[in-house]
Amino acid sequence: MLLKMWILSGTAIALWLTPLTALDKKVSWHKAIQGLSLCGAVACAVGAGDIARKLAEENEIEEWKTRAIKADVADEIAVSAYVSQQSRQQEAETLLASPGEDVEEARKALEAIYSNDLQEAATTTASENDASDLQLWWKVSAAEVEGKTLTWIVENILNMKGRKFTEGKARLIELKKKFGED
Amino acid sequence: MRAASLANYFIAGCAASSLLGWVASLHPMSQKAIAFLAAGSFILWGLCWLLDFSVSGWLKISVQNLQALLLAILAMALIGGGIFLCS
Repeated sequence: MLLKMWILSGTAIALWLTPLTALDKKVSWHKAIQGLSLCGAVACAVGAGDIARKLAEENEIEEWKTRAIKADVADEIAVSAYVSQQSRQQEAETLLASPGEDVEEARKALEAIYSNDLQEAATTTASENDASDLQLWWKVSAAEVEGKTLTWIVENILNMKGRKFTEGKARLIELKKKFGED
Repeated sequence: MRAASLANYFIAGCAASSLLGWVASLHPMSQKAIAFLAAGSFILWGLCWLLDFSVSGWLKISVQNLQALLLAILAMALIGGGIFLCS
């Protein structure tokens, strides 16, 4: 359409100017051709103008569509954020308002509702914990190969000194059980 | 694209003015008819220019747009007629 418009536009200018300058008004058939070319020039120019007007209107409609889509997306985001906020607020209010015995039930119900999200999150957390445990086990193994004592490992690798030493020892045993068998 | 549309309509107007000149050159009678048409159009143009506020209200367009339209019509007539006469 755009190419057609430009071609028509160029043709209109050519048909308007060329016969007027190139042909002689005194020769009868030259004059006839001038008249025909002028009619053709008017027709081409009007056609090109119409095409350009249609293209301009289409562009305008496309701009409106884009603006409407953007506004819809913004509206949807705002509505979903508002709904989410409201639902969370209601859940929190329900939890706070209900007596102690019902809290556990409400928690379970909420857990069931959001199980998918929570499951994903739990899987991620569990895998992250496994990775950190494995990393820790590698350090422990390396220290054992170097001939470090149990106390040194608990205090320096697990970073559990003093009162936490017993807890650290238990953790070391747990790590050994978890990865030592493999 | 809107500018291209306006430019094309302007070229159409110029070519139409040249065509009127060509029609006028065909026969003395047609020359007189075109002369009367041109005179009538010029008087109408002048009236529109003088009564721009009333005419713009009647056509439901702004005064600036009406003045632009009138100037464009004058330019089309002058350019089209001038090119025909000078060729």
